[in-house]
Amino acid sequence: MELPELAARWMHALTSTAYIPLSHAEIEQSLLDSLRDLPESPESVAYRLVSLHATGPDSLRATIEVLSPTFDLPLLARLSSAYAQAMRSDAFDQQEQIKVAIVRAKQRVERTLKVSQARFQEVFGSAALGIAITDLTGRCVEANDKLAEIVGLETGCDLADRDLRDFYHPDDLAALGASYRKVSEGRLDRFRDQRKLIRADGEPVWVQLVVSVLRDADGEPTHHVTMVDDISELHLLQRSLDHQLLHDSLTGLSNRQHFVSQVERQLGGTPITLYHLGLDAFSVVNNGLGHDTGDKLLKIVANRLGELAAEKEAVVARIGGDEFALITAADNVTSTIEEIQNALAEPTFVDDHGIALSASIGVVDRPPAFATAAELMRCANAALRQAKARGKRQWALHDPHDDARRRGKYALAASMPGAWEHGEIKIVYAPVHDLETSEVLGAVARLHWDDLSHNDTMALADSTGLSLPIGRWLLREACAQAARWVEEFGDGAPTLHIALGALQSRDEDLVADVKRALDETGLPPDRLRIALDISSVLAGDDNALVLHDSGIVTALDGFRGGHDELAVLTELPVRSVITRAPAPSPDSPLHQAMRALIATVHGFGVRFGVDEVHTLTDAEHWRQAGADGVIGLLPALTAAEVTDLLATAASRPPGAS
Amino acid sequence: MSERVSWVPEGVDTGMPSAARLYDYLLGGGHNFAADRALAEKFLQAQPNGRTIARLNRSFLRRAVLFMIDRGIRQFLDLGSGIPTVGNVHEIAQKADPEAHVVYVDFEEVAVAHSQLILEHDPRATIIQEDMTKPAEVLQAARYSGLIDFTRPVGVLTAGVFHFVPPQADPNAIVAAYRDAVPSGSYLAVSQFTHDLQPEEMAGIVEVMKKSQNPMYPRTKSEIESLFAGFELEEPGIVPTPLWRPESTNTDDPDKAGIYAAVGRKL
Repeated sequence: MELPELAARWMHALTSTAYIPLSHAEIEQSLLDSLRDLPESPESVAYRLVSLHATGPDSLRATIEVLSPTFDLPLLARLSSAYAQAMRSDAFDQQEQIKVAIVRAKQRVERTLKVSQARFQEVFGSAALGIAITDLTGRCVEANDKLAEIVGLETGCDLADRDLRDFYHPDDLAALGASYRKVSEGRLDRFRDQRKLIRADGEPVWVQLVVSVLRDADGEPTHHVTMVDDISELHLLQRSLDHQLLHDSLTGLSNRQHFVSQVERQLGGTPITLYHLGLDAFSVVNNGLGHDTGDKLLKIVANRLGELAAEKEAVVARIGGDEFALITAADNVTSTIEEIQNALAEPTFVDDHGIALSASIGVVDRPPAFATAAELMRCANAALRQAKARGKRQWALHDPHDDARRRGKYALAASMPGAWEHGEIKIVYAPVHDLETSEVLGAVARLHWDDLSHNDTMALADSTGLSLPIGRWLLREACAQAARWVEEFGDGAPTLHIALGALQSRDEDLVADVKRALDETGLPPDRLRIALDISSVLAGDDNALVLHDSGIVTALDGFRGGHDELAVLTELPVRSVITRAPAPSPDSPLHQAMRALIATVHGFGVRFGVDEVHTLTDAEHWRQAGADGVIGLLPALTAAEVTDLLATAASRPPGAS
Repeated sequence: MSERVSWVPEGVDTGMPSAARLYDYLLGGGHNFAADRALAEKFLQAQPNGRTIARLNRSFLRRAVLFMIDRGIRQFLDLGSGIPTVGNVHEIAQKADPEAHVVYVDFEEVAVAHSQLILEHDPRATIIQEDMTKPAEVLQAARYSGLIDFTRPVGVLTAGVFHFVPPQADPNAIVAAYRDAVPSGSYLAVSQFTHDLQPEEMAGIVEVMKKSQNPMYPRTKSEIESLFAGFELEEPGIVPTPLWRPESTNTDDPDKAGIYAAVGRKL
């Protein structure tokens, strides 16, 4: 047989026994060369076969079958023996190679492990949070020095093998144990809680806990990770803030806000009576004897009313300069009026001045259960004005039929859809001022209906289910108006701020609504700021995050400085928070506290805005406390009025201000 | 022989047989361990044609690469490349054009370390350690390698890979992610076990492979076809491996090839 033909047959036989990564022509050529070399050097042919990878289990048999008629047995025996040798050394080479690969893989795994361990140790050691890794029984496997510091020990090693639960307050053990279990059972990814730890020296320390679980390769829980943030200073600060927010600093009585919330709580329960007191001729005392004397007098009045309230199990508050209020379980109005007047009429000596005191009193007796606290306050105030109009030491009972302005909640709610339809609910724009530059940063779009404020209108809408349609309307209309301003005035147009109600803030269609409003009106997204009600993010709603991801700047409205709120600020990319609170006068202890709170907020990269700031003095106090912006310095304007203002500003020569 | 070499680290478990080393053994390679060879014997009991199936699949990969080279492809992404064995993609591609770039992707430690050894001195080929079922990570690492220009057509190779991807990992979505990352004119090669051919033997293989690190999920022709959404199948479509553009007259029995093969062009 001719050698080329033999090579072709050999190629066909070999390629069905092994995969040779060459074209058939290339294989055939190589085999033809082999056939020529074979008589001289069967060994080199054997090595070539192995290097071609003709190494299948049947490759040698196929070779011998093809070659045996042409070549003699001793030659084929040499070929076979050399082939076996080549296969052996090839196998050794390959085993060697894969062992090297394994060693390298092992080294890399170890190196990666070392690096990640080093990283972990660095984080663990230098963290500003206390961190403990505990087994599922609560025993500390590892804890860092910061945690030791929080619980009053020297180093993290002192915590090793200690039961972390030893540091929990006994009252918290059951609740915390349940939460830990929820995490290890996978029902919660992690939990967050504020608790009191008991330090080694027995002192309590307030901490924020974040607990999650570590799992092994099979996903079984093996350890808990507990992160501990010492918030005791913050905690004290908040307690003091809470007190300051709810109490009148001069007399120590509840303030108006606190009183209103207590009225709210008592509405709908047993019938109540509300007394609104205005001291008669108090301005005479203030102007004639000086403010110091006036303040002392107010404290005395507060004391006497406080005693009376304690006797009658009533709630008393100072709700204005010379105005106080009492709420009692419904009783005999005339005798209570008598007791109040008697308490005030006791001779009062202040700085050697004998002062006779009396009050005019407006009364709301047994209001209907559906009345709101705000309505009651308004009615009581109206009755007080009536009483004052009659002279000193008078009182007047609020007569529901008298009050032309009175609208029961149902009447109001019932008229709301019609009012909206008829365009009676309007949008007005309140300027946002930068406290540093005094410039107008933008305009807040607000609802305005009769004499109801934005918040009252939104609250009413929330209770009637109208808030979503009205909120969407506000969003759409205000964006359209802002887009017209941008078109007309370019950079001179105000940035639009919209504060959403609680319901709309957590509406799952909110993001789509905002995007649609932007798309349809053509308002550039960077000209819009959305303020979400902070309750929505505290409840875990993710609208703030999604809005941010959509390129829309967000704020949180209703910020009060709680730890839960601060925790949210570390997690959410919001630009600012908006609060409502009395302005912190620089000489009050509250000032320093507020400065610290604002600095904390700034520390998170978040700006601090204040709503309902109506005087320049208050604005200045806020500026000194570090706040960035205020709303309320100027009255809200209609869209047309804003347009006129912008036109005037635009026509002014550059440089003028 | 000891089942477990003591200095082998966690995650490099030689006691647990791997499909990549089983494949190497079936191809006549020596990059395998006792456990792999024991599994291979069981594999061969279930499917006596196992060596031929491996050879035909490897041979398809070579023809697919050369076909793509012929269509102008000069950069390849070889997903689930396994341990280097006879006829690696970079060897085939660079023999045709020394400038061809190849990025191998595998997740298994030994396969990666071994590939690094082989590729140490080749600046145009590399291996990235990623899970091919996570396209975002793979694509990011591939971009980072600098070897693949995603504005030019890419040859995406998945030879004998998708039968290790369970249905719940959504193979169609995985392919779609790679498809969307490469420009039109790119190619996709797929070969994968099927129960359309020799269903009894296939069931045996599935049973055997349950005991390895890599359980197996055969697919029907129409399931494989759905992987090619957005691609136009090249002739002759989805066929048993030996029938896909054979080099000369095919002598292997296509009914015993076990694996379907196909190449598509991104529209």
